Amino acid sequence: MHCKDWEERIALHVGGDLPAAERSAVERHLAECGGCQVLWSGMKESLELLHGAHAEPLPPAAYTAVRGRVMAELAAGRRVWWRWAGGLAAAAAIVIMVALAVWPEPRVAPLPRIALAIPPAPELHLTLAPHAFRAAPLSRAARVSKRSPQPLLVRLITDDPNIVIYWIAD
Amino acid sequence: MALATLAMADAAESPQAQLGLIEAAKAGDLAAFETLMRQHERLVLVTAFRLLGSLPDAQDVSQEVFLKLYRNLGKVEASGSLAGWLYRVTANACHDVRRRKRPAASVELAENLRAGGADPQQAATEAERRRVLEMSLRLLPEKERAALVLRDLEGLSTEEVAGALGSSEATVRSQISKARVKVRGFVERYFRSR
Repeated sequence: MHCKDWEERIALHVGGDLPAAERSAVERHLAECGGCQVLWSGMKESLELLHGAHAEPLPPAAYTAVRGRVMAELAAGRRVWWRWAGGLAAAAAIVIMVALAVWPEPRVAPLPRIALAIPPAPELHLTLAPHAFRAAPLSRAARVSKRSPQPLLVRLITDDPNIVIYWIAD
Repeated sequence: MALATLAMADAAESPQAQLGLIEAAKAGDLAAFETLMRQHERLVLVTAFRLLGSLPDAQDVSQEVFLKLYRNLGKVEASGSLAGWLYRVTANACHDVRRRKRPAASVELAENLRAGGADPQQAATEAERRRVLEMSLRLLPEKERAALVLRDLEGLSTEEVAGALGSSEATVRSQISKARVKVRGFVERYFRSR
């Protein structure tokens, strides 16, 4: 019979799972206790057999089958996704076309009307002596027009009473 | 694209190459994902088979795990350890399968264990011992079986087993020791009774 107290530690020792501090204590006990030695060697043999039992590889076909199933499902998922995406795109296009056909034309706010009121041009007072006109007709006339007393004023009146545009030209 | 995937498959061992495959798969490269799957299919299928003891169930679990991997490539990349993630998801998926299966399965196994090897000449053979060990493994409580499979058959450290099973290292050590004692007990009782 083996010692119950040592069972757990011996089981861990078999697989090399004991911390170094405990390992030496177990080894000392094993050296003295025949029952625990039997337990230890039995467990060691079981583990080796277990390794042997699982050493045989699975048939390659088992892996191929899984791979095939996974890849087929991923490819199918992708096809479904594309079908969904295509359907959604077509539906979106139809909705946009219908909306464009049915939707009333947007009302654009009319621009403020501008009334153009040009005040009468300032009178030019030209009093030219006939002899002067005759002597230098072109240059004298130009000099007179430069002396014109008022600039040309253009007043633009909008619908908005607060906006009046003035344009003053020399 | 195919050439890039092949090149990455050649250098599959390096974490950088694996990251490259994950990135490519995330971008929709199915060939890259298939390469990732080839690199890890043994890990997933064999672990599932050892945990469930049934190849068709293990294949269903593997399929589920890889589809989950495809949907969670971003999370896997962030976790930093694809193998750790796969062990954890595989263990969880196997747990779900076992929960769905009828509990009578373990009774059937125990009967098989008693009825098997009626031929006395066969009793002492190694093949018979292996068969008994395999069945004793299936009779273990789920957590102990998972700890034993991941530690003793998959060769993970107790820390990695704890990560995969969502337990503490102390719990895992306790589960492993109980499982080893039980397996040895099953085998001894079986052969002593013959």
